[in-house]
Amino acid sequence: MVSYLVHGLMFFLQEAGSTPQAGMKNAMLEGLKHPDLSKFLVVGALLFIIGVAGVLTRRNIIVIFMSIELILNAANLNFIAMSRYLQETGSVNALAGQIFAVFVIVVAAAEAAIGLGIVIALYRNKETIWVDEIDLLKW
Amino acid sequence: MPLSSYESLFFWIFGITAIFAGLLTVMAKNAVHSALFLISSLVSVAALFVLSGAEFIAGVQILVYVGGVMVLFLFVIMLVNVGAEEQGRDEIFNNQRQVTASLIFCFLLVLGVLYAVNKGSSTLIRQNLSAEAVAEQQAARNATLNRSATGTSSITNDTGQIGSSLYRYGSLPFEIASVLLLVAIVGSVMLARTLRQEASADDVDPEVLQDESLRDPELIRFESASQE
Repeated sequence: MVSYLVHGLMFFLQEAGSTPQAGMKNAMLEGLKHPDLSKFLVVGALLFIIGVAGVLTRRNIIVIFMSIELILNAANLNFIAMSRYLQETGSVNALAGQIFAVFVIVVAAAEAAIGLGIVIALYRNKETIWVDEIDLLKW
Repeated sequence: MPLSSYESLFFWIFGITAIFAGLLTVMAKNAVHSALFLISSLVSVAALFVLSGAEFIAGVQILVYVGGVMVLFLFVIMLVNVGAEEQGRDEIFNNQRQVTASLIFCFLLVLGVLYAVNKGSSTLIRQNLSAEAVAEQQAARNATLNRSATGTSSITNDTGQIGSSLYRYGSLPFEIASVLLLVAIVGSVMLARTLRQEASADDVDPEVLQDESLRDPELIRFESASQE
């Protein structure tokens, strides 16, 4: 884990050092002015990571469900961005990403309905929605 | 797919809004506030969908997520009374050790993402189109489309294409999705029933019914009502 961290940091330092300062600044400005596929993917990845953090850290089971919705939404954002990218490169099957996004939304809706039904049943039996108090299956 | 100048302005506005609203969803103390922040995050992502030319998915996102799923969430928050959290008496996060471990995990994920984007973005952009070239391409595509009634904008045919390919290539998954939704409806109704409702549908084990009716004398009345 530590070696991975060090490698990552080394990589960034190398990247910053290897390119000429002016060229890199220009490229960054160009990237800010004309965001491309990678910016969409970064937004999607950050939303995914925020969702993962929410699932791992929160105690309220309803907020955990909301974090799962964030994760699914981040996946959708990636699908749509890739679909747009493929459209521009002239791919035949470019709309497949958008079709898949529809199915992701369907599954998210079904999951929310079932999950919230379980939450209601759980609350009726255990009188709590804190996940650390619902430890019947904990060894 | 470099965006043009005004699109990029909207991209940054909505992208940053989506990320910060997502962060606030996870960090808000009150579950209702979480839900409202999640709604604003979802709307911002829908705006990003519009920017990348997926108007239909953006509409579905607003209708299904914001109009359906989030209303469901708010109803459940209302049903399970979270008074303790609102008054700030209870801790909203897990214990210190779990939070530290998961934050380290997320930090590693961030590093991995940055590494992958740095490494991959140059090879991903195969034909390295400039923004001007993309704008020209788009203008050429727009010229072939129908104009709206006022003549000020063109009507895209993306939604029509999605519809036709959904029925042509994705018809089996589409049917499976409809069955999945039906199962979800029935399942959530089954899960959320109370014991009285189960008794009136004559759906309870007699022994359980005997035990529970000691606590709730009216239960037996529901049971007998269904016998007639």
